Amino acid sequence: MTGFAAAIVEAWQELRIHRLRVLLSLIGVGVAVCALTCAVAVSSIAKQALVEQAEREGGRPTTYGLYAYSNENGEPPPPAESRRVFDEIMDEFDITYHSAIGESDATVALPTGSRHVSLRAVDVAYADLRRMVPEQGRWLDAKDAQNLSPAVVVDARLMKALRLGPDSLPATVTFGGETPITATIVGQVRKDEQSGRSTAYILFDAYDRWFGATQQMFDVNFQMWVPPKGAKPLSKAVAQEFSSQLPGLQVQVNRQDSSDRGESFKTFKYVVGGISALILLLGAMSLLNIALVTIKQRVREIGIRRSFGATTSRVFFSVMMESVVATFVAGLVGVVGAVGIVNSPLIADHVITNVTDIPPFPISAAVLGLVVSLAVGSLAGLLPALIAVRVKIIDAIRF
Amino acid sequence: MSELLRLTDVTRTVKLPDDTDLHILTGVDLTVSTGDHIGIIGRSGTGKSTLLNLLGLLDRPTTGTLAWAGHDTRTLRARAAAQIRGRDVGFVFQQFNLLPGRTALENVAAPLMYAPGSAFWKRREIAATMLERVGLGARLDSMPESLSGGEQQRVAIARAIVRGPKIVLADEPTGALDLETGAEVMGLLDGITHETGAALITITHDVAVAAMARQRFRLEGGRLHSLVDVAA
Repeated sequence: MTGFAAAIVEAWQELRIHRLRVLLSLIGVGVAVCALTCAVAVSSIAKQALVEQAEREGGRPTTYGLYAYSNENGEPPPPAESRRVFDEIMDEFDITYHSAIGESDATVALPTGSRHVSLRAVDVAYADLRRMVPEQGRWLDAKDAQNLSPAVVVDARLMKALRLGPDSLPATVTFGGETPITATIVGQVRKDEQSGRSTAYILFDAYDRWFGATQQMFDVNFQMWVPPKGAKPLSKAVAQEFSSQLPGLQVQVNRQDSSDRGESFKTFKYVVGGISALILLLGAMSLLNIALVTIKQRVREIGIRRSFGATTSRVFFSVMMESVVATFVAGLVGVVGAVGIVNSPLIADHVITNVTDIPPFPISAAVLGLVVSLAVGSLAGLLPALIAVRVKIIDAIRF
Repeated sequence: MSELLRLTDVTRTVKLPDDTDLHILTGVDLTVSTGDHIGIIGRSGTGKSTLLNLLGLLDRPTTGTLAWAGHDTRTLRARAAAQIRGRDVGFVFQQFNLLPGRTALENVAAPLMYAPGSAFWKRREIAATMLERVGLGARLDSMPESLSGGEQQRVAIARAIVRGPKIVLADEPTGALDLETGAEVMGLLDGITHETGAALITITHDVAVAAMARQRFRLEGGRLHSLVDVAA
């Protein structure tokens, strides 16, 4: 116990006395650990961004879509009826998150003229299925179906076209046609990457009431978010039940969410990891280089310590500890720097722009940074420590 | 007085680059007991430092025996030798050999880094007491380079005795000092080892320094002669 404490004290004294040399040699290690930790943390955020983007486009894992067509003419069944049946089946199977989805086109009066926009009829749960978080205002509510004017949520593209800025909600938007309809914009979500057009969302139940008379929905389908375990048999059972309740239809269920997101992320991870490893290697080499030069300068001091009774194992341990303590401190600084960089407003404003649920700084990245710094310290300390124990006391004192 | 060290027919030979043997010490016999003050005088190249290294267990005889407290050191492992050295031997070097970048207090406390238990934890207090004893109580935080030669050697003396050694080996302790300061330092070294009961072996080429010892030897041609014998 005393020997270990003494070795730590000795190592710390060395670092304190040679602080300039230590500082210079450790800058490389600190920067390398910072880069490595940043890379791991940013890759975690990037992975989350990819996951969220995939979930916005295809739904959360595991989301299934149910499509039904008439066996006779290929036409979809009346939306209201298939909607009623789908809801009953969802209740029967105790599936909480599900939404009917229908597409439609509408014309919107803009300050610069009129524009065709996508009008997507959805249920309230659509926001959960597609990870939609309002950037302004709120998402649609079931009670909105009873409003005297239709409530809509628009995407950022339409919001911009309407020249509506922040804090301008609620506002109104007029959908053109034979009978113009003025809707209330209750919320704004990020722009719809899937359609690439300006999009407005309206409750499925409200669509028929306001727009059903003039324009029918197309591509009507029903989506459900189910637990990954047993998702496939469950989706087939839902399709079977749907077919049995609405005979004469061809019913298909397809998985909607992207299942290969892990693959697309791997390349990014390997590239970032490779660059970080290279930086780390250079940092370690510079540390080793300076450590070797220094140990040659310290031969006399080691000899004097040996005359005090320092054993070879103690000298070895002390030299190793110097390196390990120093790189651990450098690693700690690097990790703290990485936390600061990743959580800085600059990164938040310019890099993490496409993420709703920003993951906390990954503990694994911090642990990796510290473990790597300890490993580098041990490796860089090994060679000088071996040289130090080979020093002949008499020659060293006369050095 | 109990016997600390006994050298019997000790030789030390080194191999030269041309593969010939250089006999540095030949047939050295010496007995050191507690409280002894031994002065060994000799010219440069006569093997004084080699003898000192043997006495301090820094080196091993080529032939002959070196017994420490009655135990033959030929079978002593390096670790055990280091422990004896740390516990029972104090060194004072000609060039002081203070650790650079450390204060006087840290230099004196340095040997206590290898001491077990309370001596390690109380190293600063012990070192401060030791520096006061050598008259440097006011220079605890001074760096070696800000101390005079005499002060540096006093720090080295404090460092040599801080663990209460049984033997202090001084290699030309006044070699880097002027006459007056050298005499002061030798007086201090003699007095302090006398107080603690430690044996003091001084190796020097200075007759005046050797004259302070109670037993005197001359090292000549690798052989150790008692000055009484020489006189006779």
